[in-house]
Formats: sequence, structure tokens, C-alpha cells
Amino acid sequence: MAARRALKAVLVDLNGTLHIEDAAVPGAQEALKRLRGTSVMVRFVTNTTKESKQDLLERLKKLEFDISEDEIFTSLTAARNLVEQKQVRPMLLVDDRALPDFKGIQTSDPNAVVIGLAPEHFHYQILNQAFRLLLDGAPLIAIHKARYYKRKDGLALGPGPFVMALEYATDTKATVVGKPEKTFFLEALRGTGCEPEEAVMIGDDCRDDVGGAQNVGMLGILVKTGKYRAADEEKINPPPYLTCESFPHAVDHILRHLL
Amino acid sequence: MAAWSERLAGVRGVLLDISGVLHDSGEGGGVPIPGSVEALARLKRSQLKVRFCTNESQKSRGDLVGLLRHMGFDISEDEVTAPAPATCLILKERGLRPHLLIHDGIRSEFAQIDTSNPNCVVIADAGESFSYQNMNKAFQVLMELDNPVLISLGKGRYYKETSGLMLDVGAYTKALEYACGIKAEVVGKPAPGYFQSALQEMGVESHEAIMIGDDIVGDVGGAQRCGMRALQVRTGKFRCRGRDRLGIEPGAEGAHPTPVCSPTSQPNGPGLPWTPSPASPWRPHGCCGDCI
Repeated sequence: MAARRALKAVLVDLNGTLHIEDAAVPGAQEALKRLRGTSVMVRFVTNTTKESKQDLLERLKKLEFDISEDEIFTSLTAARNLVEQKQVRPMLLVDDRALPDFKGIQTSDPNAVVIGLAPEHFHYQILNQAFRLLLDGAPLIAIHKARYYKRKDGLALGPGPFVMALEYATDTKATVVGKPEKTFFLEALRGTGCEPEEAVMIGDDCRDDVGGAQNVGMLGILVKTGKYRAADEEKINPPPYLTCESFPHAVDHILRHLL
Repeated sequence: MAAWSERLAGVRGVLLDISGVLHDSGEGGGVPIPGSVEALARLKRSQLKVRFCTNESQKSRGDLVGLLRHMGFDISEDEVTAPAPATCLILKERGLRPHLLIHDGIRSEFAQIDTSNPNCVVIADAGESFSYQNMNKAFQVLMELDNPVLISLGKGRYYKETSGLMLDVGAYTKALEYACGIKAEVVGKPAPGYFQSALQEMGVESHEAIMIGDDIVGDVGGAQRCGMRALQVRTGKFRCRGRDRLGIEPGAEGAHPTPVCSPTSQPNGPGLPWTPSPASPWRPHGCCGDCI
């Protein structure tokens, strides 16, 4: 095995890894404390289109995790960073609850489109407005392209189909900012000053968390909590660096073998 | 560059697109494109056979023809090949009962169709009826089926209305294809069968026909792939940028680019009424030259 550089940063997925909905993974709070006792930088990463950082922070604090807001990096953050980089004024097709993460961004006279899961915005008039902006050359930024999700009344269309609709109509491609895109992980690491080769990702989604991270040069640790299903680790190539029971086990391994 | 008469040799029939060629739809029914009423009249007075080949799926054939006649166009229902009637034939043939994702304006075309216990989805240009809820309902129907069938009336990307460009059915069909992991069957241009049925109705072979339209993919590309000649007009949804990006080289035989011109024209004897006006001669790439 090629020599790796020393571990400097750990990225941790949230829902399914650190906690499952409103319950912490057993032993996770303590494992996080142990990790913080080392020199590594820690970042918490998630694909969300409707929870602002504030919402996430509140939930984590209630579960007694010691986390600060600037350690959280979401797909909404990634979208905001891209908007700032490109210096564009976006038409925001995102859930109202996500708007706090775009505070301070100019949205009048838009010359870009940001699209997340926002059923209330996906009616014809609004999509047509977005379409006309794109046809005039505005860039399309997609939080992610999920096909559908599970609702109480059954399956419901995600943002992906509407991104496809706009891409097809305008013959352009969206920049997707959420996991498993490379840019998501690179952006998450940007604030740490660490290279991907100096970082590890811990998550429960083999393709989006582990596959995505390894694709960019990080080590990936797959945990068997959350959405993990037996033999998930066989679904990516190369396989995860490590598959283990849960977040506390992943932290044990890191402390023992990677530092 | 070969002379017009050579390039149009043997043309006996003309297929005309409607939206973007004869008129632009919109508020109050829309507006005729300048010169088109007179040009159609001249065409009808000539020796050429004329048929209308449209992907219009927001209005019924009867409503569409009524609207156009009101503007002065010489057109009747039996001269029009439209996707809804064509779809009904297919539904009946295959015993399909559709969940309809359509505009109310076209519902009458499906009056004879059994829509109970749907085993497929038919999607047309539903316009304002493309709400999230309606899209979701169609999606849920497809996901419940063991053998999901999605029939799309055309697959256009957008069309022109008087207020501007409008998302067309194709975008929403792509959305459902992606969501369900399936491919839609297209009834309408550019499906070859659709052009063939129009040619059959007209009694003309493809090499004897020319299609006039504003959509480089649906009208021009589709017609040329069937062995017809095609002519693109610079009205309706025509945009120079779009044509280059899609890489469609007008001209079925490769060497003969499709001329691009506006419908206002000089009378030209037995030839087509649509000939390039002296002020804007067409260029080898079939582009107007103003936008290069």
C-alpha cells in the first residue's frame, strides 16, 4: 500500500452516521470527544435541500453533540459558495426553510438558477421563468439530482426530474453540488487547509459518502448504521477502505491506525 | 450552390408545420405570422398538394382549425395530422387505458377512450396544468405499473408564444423518464411513423415532399431522416445558437443545405411561395448570417 500522508481531517456524515433521525448513535457523543482530543480537524457534512445550518445545529445540540456552526458543511453551503465564486444573482428554487443559508446573497434581477427540492416552486410559471433565464445563458446549479423520495403518501418526485427537464429544454448541463460530486468534498475540505489525501470520510451511504470521497482521493469508512444494507460495500469499486459497525468503531480505528 | 429549381425538382407535396410557421399562439388565440395567410393561399392555388403536420397538443384539432380560419387561413380539419387523434388509434390498438397528463383544451380528443384503471400514462403539452401535483400523480401511476408505458405527444423542448418562449412537453417527458427509469414512446414529429402517415394521407412519397417548419430537430431533422426535403423558417422558435449546438446539418443529401428564409416572398410561378427575398439571401449553412 502506498504511504499516505498523515491524517489531518475527518469528515462525518450526519443522519445515519452520527445520529438516526432524533436519536444519537449509541456512544457517538463520547467517540466524537475522543476524536476531538487529537489534532485532526472535524467537519460534519450532509446533502440537504431544506434544513438550514441553524436547524441542523439545534438538532445536534439537543442530542448533546459538541459542534459549532462553522464545522457544518451542507449541499446548500456548497451551492452558496458556488454562487459567491461565480458572482451571480440566483433565482432560488429552494424550500423556504433553506433560505437562511443564502442570507446576504443578492437575488433581484437574477442571472443564475439554483434548484433544490421545492415542490411549491415547481409549477409551470416558475419553471418557465427559470427556463428563460437559462436559455439566455444563466448557469444552472443543482443541489442534487435525487429522482424521488419517500413521503407519508408514497413516493414523490425529487428535484432531479426537474433539473433534467431544464437541462433538456435548454440543452445545457447543471452543476450538481451535493454528494457524491467531487466538488462537494473539495469544498468541505477547503476551510481545513487539508488535501483529500490527508482526510477520511465516515458515512452510511456507500455510493454517495464513501464512493464519492474515495473518488477525490480520501479514505472512506462505511458504517453499518442508517441506510446501510448488507453487501453495500460490494457496490463500489474500489471497495471502502474500511467497513465497520458504527461511528464509534470508526473513531477507534482512526485513533489506533491512522494517527 | 445549385439553383432553387434543381433543389426543388420533383416536389409534389408540402407538409406545413403550424405553430411558428403560420402563427404564434398566445393570449386571445395568438397572431398570424406576417405574410403567412397570403402565402398559404398562393400555395393552395398552385399544383402542389398541401397538408398540415403539427405537434399541437394543447388545443383540439377542431379548436386549432377554428382559430386559424378566424385568422384567414384556408385550412380544414381533414387536412391536419395531429398527435392526439394518432394517439387514440394507438391506445385502441393496444388496449391501453391512459392516465392523462394533458391540458383541458384537448380532453375532447380522448372522449372515446376508456380511462378507468389506467395501465399507461399519456403526456401532452399540458401548459399550466404541469403542476407538481399533476406531475407527481402521473409519476405515481407509472411506478405502480409492472410494465410502465409512457406515451408522449411530441418531445419538443420549447415553442414560441406571443409572450415569449415556453417549455414544451419534451422537458416534462424527460422528467418522468428520469424519475421512473423508462423511455417514452413519442407520437408526433420527429417520429418517422408520424411523417409517414401524413405523407400517406397526402398521397405523396417522401422524396416528392418538402417539410416547412421552425423546429430544427422536430421538423427539419425529422423530415430529412424520412427522406423528405426540409426548409427551416426564421420565425417561431428559430434561434441560430440552438441550431449550431444541436449539430444538425440541414440537407438530406448532405450536399444541399436547407435554405432558411422568411415566409414573406416574391411570387415565383409554379415554385414554392416561400423563396428567399432578395434582401436576405440564404447562406450555405442555411443560416441567416446576421447572427454569425
